[in-house]
Amino acid sequence: MLEGFRILDCSAESGFLAGKILGDMGADVVKLEVPGGDPARRGPYLGDIEDPERSLLWLSLNTSKRGITLDLELERGRGLFRRLVRQFDVVLESDRPGAFERRGIGFESLREAQPGLVWCAVTPFGQTGPYADYRASDISIVAMGGNLHATGWLDRAPIRCTMPTGDYHAAPEAALGITMALYGREDSGRGQFVDVSMRETQLQTLLSGPGQYEANPERYADRHRAGDRMGKSREIWRVKDGYVSFGLRGGASRIPNLKATVQWMAECKMAPTWLLEFDWGTYNHNVMSVEDFAPFEEAFGAFFASKSMRELFEGAVDRRVLLAPCNDAREISEHQQLRSRDLFVTLDYPELGASIEHPAFFAKTNRNGIRVRTRAPRIGEHNAEVYAELGIGADEIAELQAEGVL
Amino acid sequence: MKVLELGSGAAGPVATKYLAEHGADVIRIESSKRPDFLRVLFLTPDSKYGVDGSPMFILLNPNKRSVALNMKHPEGVALAKRLALEWADVVCENFAPGPMERFGMSYEALSRDKPDLVMVSGCLFGQTGPHRAYPGFGAQGSALSGFNHLTGWSDRASAGPSGTITDSLSPRYVALAMVAALLERRRTGEGQYVDLSQIEAAVYSTSEVQVRYSARGEVVTRNGNRSEQAAPHGAYPCLGEDRWVVIAVWDDEDWKRLCEEMHHPAWSADPSYETNAGRLAAADALDDELSGWTRQHDARDLMTRLQAAGIEACVCQEFQEIVDDSQLSHRGHWTRVEHSNVGSLLAERSGFRLSETDGELRTAGPNLGEHTNDILTECLGLDPVEIERLREEEVLV
Repeated sequence: MLEGFRILDCSAESGFLAGKILGDMGADVVKLEVPGGDPARRGPYLGDIEDPERSLLWLSLNTSKRGITLDLELERGRGLFRRLVRQFDVVLESDRPGAFERRGIGFESLREAQPGLVWCAVTPFGQTGPYADYRASDISIVAMGGNLHATGWLDRAPIRCTMPTGDYHAAPEAALGITMALYGREDSGRGQFVDVSMRETQLQTLLSGPGQYEANPERYADRHRAGDRMGKSREIWRVKDGYVSFGLRGGASRIPNLKATVQWMAECKMAPTWLLEFDWGTYNHNVMSVEDFAPFEEAFGAFFASKSMRELFEGAVDRRVLLAPCNDAREISEHQQLRSRDLFVTLDYPELGASIEHPAFFAKTNRNGIRVRTRAPRIGEHNAEVYAELGIGADEIAELQAEGVL
Repeated sequence: MKVLELGSGAAGPVATKYLAEHGADVIRIESSKRPDFLRVLFLTPDSKYGVDGSPMFILLNPNKRSVALNMKHPEGVALAKRLALEWADVVCENFAPGPMERFGMSYEALSRDKPDLVMVSGCLFGQTGPHRAYPGFGAQGSALSGFNHLTGWSDRASAGPSGTITDSLSPRYVALAMVAALLERRRTGEGQYVDLSQIEAAVYSTSEVQVRYSARGEVVTRNGNRSEQAAPHGAYPCLGEDRWVVIAVWDDEDWKRLCEEMHHPAWSADPSYETNAGRLAAADALDDELSGWTRQHDARDLMTRLQAAGIEACVCQEFQEIVDDSQLSHRGHWTRVEHSNVGSLLAERSGFRLSETDGELRTAGPNLGEHTNDILTECLGLDPVEIERLREEEVLV
């Protein structure tokens, strides 16, 4: 989809996925790392052998990129960077605000010579403002973005997802901002700065919650994080071999779903008489109390507890009931639906003696434009071919390597 | 850029919100016969404005127009199809597979008459496969794609992240696919069809989890606020009710600075805390001790003070603080939009600013069918007599 566009990906860990998305969409993405390898080439490692070339984080988030090394702390490195950027449409970075500018290689320094340049910076809070220089990793982004306070149980601290949802939300939004800027450039010929605030992309997980709160604060007066519940009713249910998600809420349009579940319980002789005779015309989750939900939770809970995740999901699919298993990596890997769409692709790592399955795309297109194209690069793997485009030959590369520039 | 949207909930409409914010003309096809569920989700018997009073709907659909078409009436379907063929650059929909085919508006059908059409479908499981018809929402998406399993304490049930991660993740991929497909069309003249599954977009985002499983059989599992690299790393209690500050200590320098800020309490002198490995091994004990210190302080004071000392510390913000957040004001994150029924509401910008062609939020999400007359006149050239006839025959409801 993005064939012909060239992206210089200078990002640290929080921006890896953004570069991968653009690469998987066909752009020529060149990942720039410090000589010796990026600090994010960390464990866990393939085969548990500590080696930056075996970092599973690196391998998973840098597919469809070529890799070069360059030290931007050295003047000679910065000189090379200036020449290199001329070959690219986009620079993607996630350094502290102003860090590139201070080294004389930021957007403002380069745009005069290259008016078409698109520059995307992914930072916790954006380039300017009172928090612009604050340090914030994923847990802080989720905290400032409002999701943390709303997640977990009241008797313990609020919790984040164990994987970085801050990165996950920022990445496609950075890719979107870049693609919009490239689209705009088709007419204007001018590039621009795409200033991504990870915290603001994380705020979107609240789906306009703060604005809804501001309109009706009283509706949120007794709002607390609810762990395995949501609002006043249970959301996560213990079953034979794990957990499933099922809501007793959702408004009038979901009542057929509750009725269908009761019908299913009846087939299994697990629906109490009162539930079979219940008049659903009187059911409105918005006005029910915890006590009102209790008998429903007892009846539905007993039914779910008698079955496995798989039995429940298969039944739910047949009956179009809104129940879903809380899948883990193994269950996702074995999922019949995902397999039927060839979601996974096997990449070979011959020098490591391994083959690894990766999710291959975020969407399918009839032009097959989105797919993992190549494995992540080894350290400096494409130095020769990328620097050759600048007219730098093997001898000079060797010299630059000896100086620690590459 | 002209975007025709058929869909409901968050996943479809949030995707086109990005485009509407940045200048695209987005028209929603809706019907009071089957209103968007966000229009009715919070209805109670005393809701005054029915389907035209839902703040969530209004806030997730700014800058858009709404045409009411009865899709159970053949003339309603015919008008929808005309909008797709004669007006739109892109069609975006997120029904479970079925309705678009029934309307004769599948990509196959539409592209026969309009080969350069760009169309994006974004339902839960995608357009093919044994579970394609499963009609899930975000709560199911988060469970199926692993986010529930990954959120919570190791000794408790899955918690489920607040909000439904697939609802917030998938729309940005849908928006990206739309803009990239339009860009490709500009360069090649060719349209295309994008079949996005919300589950797959989420699993793709967590590639690291699946790679770790495939490469070493590891099943990454929820682990509270623990980090594999940092300790302390968590949310710590502060003065006041249910107040928390996040603190993360990444290296020995951070730890030294934190000890300094705490004025070197006796417990912090334990030599095993001097190295990252030692701190990671003692994460539980560190959490307890650090909590004893943070409890005596205000969360916001700690953020200001520790950040000034170069330590990662952030308030675990609640809605009111988010609304009052000085950084968000600085960034112009909020825009007040006026709605005819509900009044003034705080709408949110997307997470990025463009230095030359930045977006803006102008209008609140539309009432159902608010722009029916304008759209049929302007986009399809219908005259007032014809519109009146359609209205009488219940096509425009």
